[in-house]
Amino acid sequence: MQDEQSLVQRAQKRDQEAFAQLYEQHFDKIYRYVALKVGNYAEAEDMTQQVFLKALQSISSYKWRDIPFSAWLFRIAHNQAVDYLRKKTRQATTPLDESITIFDSNNPQKIAEHRLDTEQLILAARQLTPAQQEVISLRFAGELPIAQVAKIMGKSPGAVKALQHSAIVALRKLLLVEKDVQKEK
Amino acid sequence: MFRRKSSQLDNILDDCLERLLVKGESIEECLADYPEQADELKPLLQTAVVTKKALVIEPRPEFRAKAGYQFRTALKEIASKKSRPFFTWQLRWATVASLALILLLAGGGIVAAASNSMPDEPLYQVKLATEQIQLYLTTSPLDKAKLYAKLADRRVTEIINMAQEGNVRLVELTTQRLDNHLAMIASSSTVQREEISLIGEALETPALVVDITEADVKSAEFSQPLNGSKSELEGLLREHSANNTAALYEALETAPEEVKLALMQAIEVSVAGYEQALAAIGE
Repeated sequence: MQDEQSLVQRAQKRDQEAFAQLYEQHFDKIYRYVALKVGNYAEAEDMTQQVFLKALQSISSYKWRDIPFSAWLFRIAHNQAVDYLRKKTRQATTPLDESITIFDSNNPQKIAEHRLDTEQLILAARQLTPAQQEVISLRFAGELPIAQVAKIMGKSPGAVKALQHSAIVALRKLLLVEKDVQKEK
Repeated sequence: MFRRKSSQLDNILDDCLERLLVKGESIEECLADYPEQADELKPLLQTAVVTKKALVIEPRPEFRAKAGYQFRTALKEIASKKSRPFFTWQLRWATVASLALILLLAGGGIVAAASNSMPDEPLYQVKLATEQIQLYLTTSPLDKAKLYAKLADRRVTEIINMAQEGNVRLVELTTQRLDNHLAMIASSSTVQREEISLIGEALETPALVVDITEADVKSAEFSQPLNGSKSELEGLLREHSANNTAALYEALETAPEEVKLALMQAIEVSVAGYEQALAAIGE
């Protein structure tokens, strides 16, 4: 696999193949990140497409020395999601979309269990602080290293590690509470 | 003391997460390296593993296929817009020359009227064409860079105006023009080719059969050379960058919700474009 920097340089010179490779490398991660943030698969799909179209339009203004390409892409995704959520809070809230979870298994029981886990996680994540949510989304859904998460969030790596720690502690408590509620049902 | 201990645990947790989630090691392997923190670490790592498993979310195959097709189509469209074959290039030159002649020979005050027009107004195409002829008549790279900086200012004013009207499409389109102008300052070697293509784009509208006098042409600064040094240009760009960024942020506060994303994109393009231009000048 070619290194990302040379792919980006080629993409900036309108090399279609290079941009297509960047698209393939980041598509699933961006989708997962957006899906976790918005919790609605139709919106996540639209938004994922928009992220790549925006990236295509703005690739000429991107500079490697400021921020790694993947961090730049996630920043676009973040802006899209924030804008969507801002609009959504002014509208009636929609229930969590069940079809958000597509799990690669032929076992219906496993799929149902996984869907439940995902749903619980999304609900729990919504109770975290915005900064904690962002760290979980970028680290676990976006699979970005701490240094890139720090760049995107404009924080030091140490501050991001502390947020990651507090977010996992909070998630654990929230997921345990959720499990108790499920048992009582 | 407490903060130091906590910070140490932040680092250990992060190290274990990398090993668990990226390198595929087990929780036990990681705990074995940190026996003193094992009790505290174990539940956190278990939660991290649960979180990771719950996030195995994959796009639907039909969406993946549809999105891939649309992206490739957009890629091809952009590539075909950017690469102009030699023959088309010659034809565009002929169109430019004809238009310049029409502008110079015709009479009236259209150019002056067009100079303040906005992207949603009919005379805007005249404004763009006028600018392209200005660029054509400016030969020195330094003067050309200054002219592009001036045009970038105009685009920012237009972006703010279109944002206030809630016109997302024209905010995005004008942002692309702003991006082009700033990129042209940064890359003086490609100035000539790019300006030709822009002239061609500006001339593809019938709104250009207008009444224009020679005096109008002069008043629109067609051939006024800009003089100055590289450091002057740098100072000018720094000033414009600060003013334009501040104006765009100010507009963001009052802009309708539907244009905020496009406006944020414009800010990003503006900041990055000026930085790129300043870096290129400094090299």
